[in-house]
Amino acid sequence: MKRIYMNNCLTTKPDPAVIEAMMPYLTEKYYLPEHFISTGTQLEEDIAAFKHIVAASMGAEDEEIHFTSGGTSANNLAIKGYLSANAAKGTHIICSVVDYPDILTNAAFFEDSGFDVTYLSADAEGVINLQELEAAIRPETILMMTTLVNHTIGTIQPLARIREILNQADHAIALHVDAGQAYGKLPIDVHANGIDMMSVSGHKIHGPKGVGALYVRKGIILGPVKHGINRMDKLETGATSTAAIAGFAKAVELIFADFEKNNAYLRELTGYLLERIQTTIPHTMLNSPADPSRRAPHNINISMDYIEGEAIMMMMDYHGITIATGSACFSEGLNPNYVLMAIGRTHVQSHGSLKFTLSKFNTREEIDFLVEKLAEVVIELRKRSPLYNEE
Amino acid sequence: MKYSQKVLDHFMNPHNIGKLENPDISATEGSPACGDQVSIDLKINPKTLVIEDIGFQSYGCASNIATASIITDMAKGKTLEDAKQVTWKEAAEELDGLPPAKMHCSVLAVDTLRKAIKEYEISHGLAKAEAFSKLTIVKELKQVIYPKVGEDIVSLKMVKYVGFKEGVATVDVDVPSFDQYRENIAEEIREHLKQFPEITKVIVTL
Repeated sequence: MKRIYMNNCLTTKPDPAVIEAMMPYLTEKYYLPEHFISTGTQLEEDIAAFKHIVAASMGAEDEEIHFTSGGTSANNLAIKGYLSANAAKGTHIICSVVDYPDILTNAAFFEDSGFDVTYLSADAEGVINLQELEAAIRPETILMMTTLVNHTIGTIQPLARIREILNQADHAIALHVDAGQAYGKLPIDVHANGIDMMSVSGHKIHGPKGVGALYVRKGIILGPVKHGINRMDKLETGATSTAAIAGFAKAVELIFADFEKNNAYLRELTGYLLERIQTTIPHTMLNSPADPSRRAPHNINISMDYIEGEAIMMMMDYHGITIATGSACFSEGLNPNYVLMAIGRTHVQSHGSLKFTLSKFNTREEIDFLVEKLAEVVIELRKRSPLYNEE
Repeated sequence: MKYSQKVLDHFMNPHNIGKLENPDISATEGSPACGDQVSIDLKINPKTLVIEDIGFQSYGCASNIATASIITDMAKGKTLEDAKQVTWKEAAEELDGLPPAKMHCSVLAVDTLRKAIKEYEISHGLAKAEAFSKLTIVKELKQVIYPKVGEDIVSLKMVKYVGFKEGVATVDVDVPSFDQYRENIAEEIREHLKQFPEITKVIVTL
């Protein structure tokens, strides 16, 4: 049975060309970048070329890109680095209740360390409240953090408006963007969008795991977070894997070479999936924004009434299909998905939520098979549910 | 962490699934808000007090369905007295074990069965409703599982204080501030105590 994988928000299948690009650095080019000595300088040159690929993909300058050991590492280097270097200017930061856990756990950490944190609310589609943002800004505000594409429901945050509002303040407020789900899915120009720091991840775009990048605008000072030997980068210390960076750069190259085509394909697929589910299965509720232009092209989040998501997920797994759920029964803390609760969904809607995140490797045939099986599973579980009454 | 094959078998092909026609007694435990609810119907031989037929419905995860299925298997053919003795640990063992965070599913299934039996016994004059006291609360807290280890919060000595005055139940529980299950434990306690009409308000302090 061929596995149908639709949890690409979690991780993606590496492109064969990515693996190929990594191989030389796992075999003959296993050296580390160094000055002057030929084994090192060839790696220096290669990494400079990879850095250029990543920088060009987001309108940054090469020296503004730092390779990291992943998206979470990039977020930590940015948030902790910025706040430790700039705390003298103020100790108030802003994020929202629907942000990615990297941002929320960092915010909680700084709250415990004496910072004031404003958590903006979000509307029923997951867009952060801009009036609250305007009202929250004060002289001590030094950082705003946002998750450009929501990791649960795919909502796109209004980045330009956020920057505009931050610019209305009498002092500089840095903007950090977690672009883990946005990179490769939306056009992002860091300079045009006034982004000060932005994190991206390799394995979300068909690259390898354990590699990502942090963009830091020239002039932004970050304090050290990871102490250790500066082999290649003063932020991410130690010996970063050149093979992972090579694979990441290849993934970036591929995803931006076919940017329009890829994303039009994803939009078509998710649109088709949504339409098929809504016309085949009764009693569902879309959690992603209804207007496709307001959600990322790869994400559809939808709740099945009267039944619980982990059971659906497990039965779909039995049929060879991988999807995700926001049910408490599948979460680490046994709590319903916080994004769905924040946008006003009920416990039951959150428990019954399913997240389908697609990639270029998915097909319409897979969607047809998935919807057929999902309809069977939903009928079976509703038959077992005391909450469901067929009449 | 994964489910045993037996859990998966009972989940995919549950035994005794569905409502019974004209049951002698029915009981429901859990709530959709908590993500799991089980309903059990019983047909009882009034002379022998043997459970002759049993059916269940479940709103919940794979282990919720599997534990309800195994409980119905274990209860069928037993006398009410014997069926009451089935524990959530035995049910979990019968399924070749459950992940610690899923033990509460087993508790829910056993609770539902016991509730049905008790209601039958009370309605047929076989038992009296227990007088409510602080001890009732303590007993009920033994049904609240700490998901990290899969044991109840009373046995784990996590309950530091239980009070009951003028309808207000107060429970102090020792859970570290960084524990990921804090909210869940408080919610479970409230959910368990909500069922007693004597309790009008529950205050949980962590």
